[in-house]
Amino acid sequence: MRTMKKLIQNNTNIHTIWLLMVALTILGYAMGKFGFSGLISVLILLLTAVIKGTLIIRDFMELRDVSLLWQIIMYGWLWGITLALILIYIFSLS
Amino acid sequence: MIIKVFISLYHYTFSVNKTLALEEPKLLPGDLAIWFFIFMELLVFAIAFIAYAITRMQNLELFNEFQLTLNKEFGAINTILLITSSYFVVRAVHAIKRDHVNTCINNLNIALGFGTGFLLLKSLEFYDKFSAGITLSTNTFYMFYLSLTMFHFLHVILGMIILFAVAFKAKRGHYSAADHFGVESGASYWHMVDLVWIILFPLVYIIR
Repeated sequence: MRTMKKLIQNNTNIHTIWLLMVALTILGYAMGKFGFSGLISVLILLLTAVIKGTLIIRDFMELRDVSLLWQIIMYGWLWGITLALILIYIFSLS
Repeated sequence: MIIKVFISLYHYTFSVNKTLALEEPKLLPGDLAIWFFIFMELLVFAIAFIAYAITRMQNLELFNEFQLTLNKEFGAINTILLITSSYFVVRAVHAIKRDHVNTCINNLNIALGFGTGFLLLKSLEFYDKFSAGITLSTNTFYMFYLSLTMFHFLHVILGMIILFAVAFKAKRGHYSAADHFGVESGASYWHMVDLVWIILFPLVYIIR
């Protein structure tokens, strides 16, 4: 019964996560469509990508409670890429 | 106001999971081997993304000019198709954990349908570029755009083959609530394909 309750809770949550990711995708597309550019836009776009990536790793891949090593590997990849892209973008401005 | 709503949604999605996390510590989903494979794939894509960004920095005007020729609508729709496909794969994993084999198969089939949608739209995008005479050697931007998206395209095909194999095995009764490692392994690979696209789409299509 407890397991069933957990699964129902989890499924409900998955719907919200899917909706949130679709909304963030539309936001990113709109920013591109309306020609937003510059550091602030890039930070917003990459932040939305990090949020979507976190949701995929945590809730779709279901890595929220796995060993710290695998969490470091996966979130490290996501944040590592994002920070590298931000730094390279900042260098490209100068 | 928008930021407040955004933060509330973010907290809501995570707070439910925190409750679950305290109740049941988990092992890595699926087979350990698939995770090493996923890790290797992510490293390759990471190098490709950084190479793209550095080359863009050195050819800023060229990249900004030719990025405008990309179809942002197709890119955004493809992102939604992949996210939705991943969502149905999650539902398939939840179903098999409840021993609902048919629901699992149905969700996998729907996920495969969205994956096919991605491949069709991406093929249309490639056809559009190739018919305009654009190739890998047209310029540095198109070399990166075509290489990155085609490399990802091949991963979508591989992911779909894996999902198809999982659905096929599920139909033959190979999976149950007690034995669902295969479904989780296939699902994890598919989510990796999604995760890579989540970075690729803004990087190549939007950021300027």
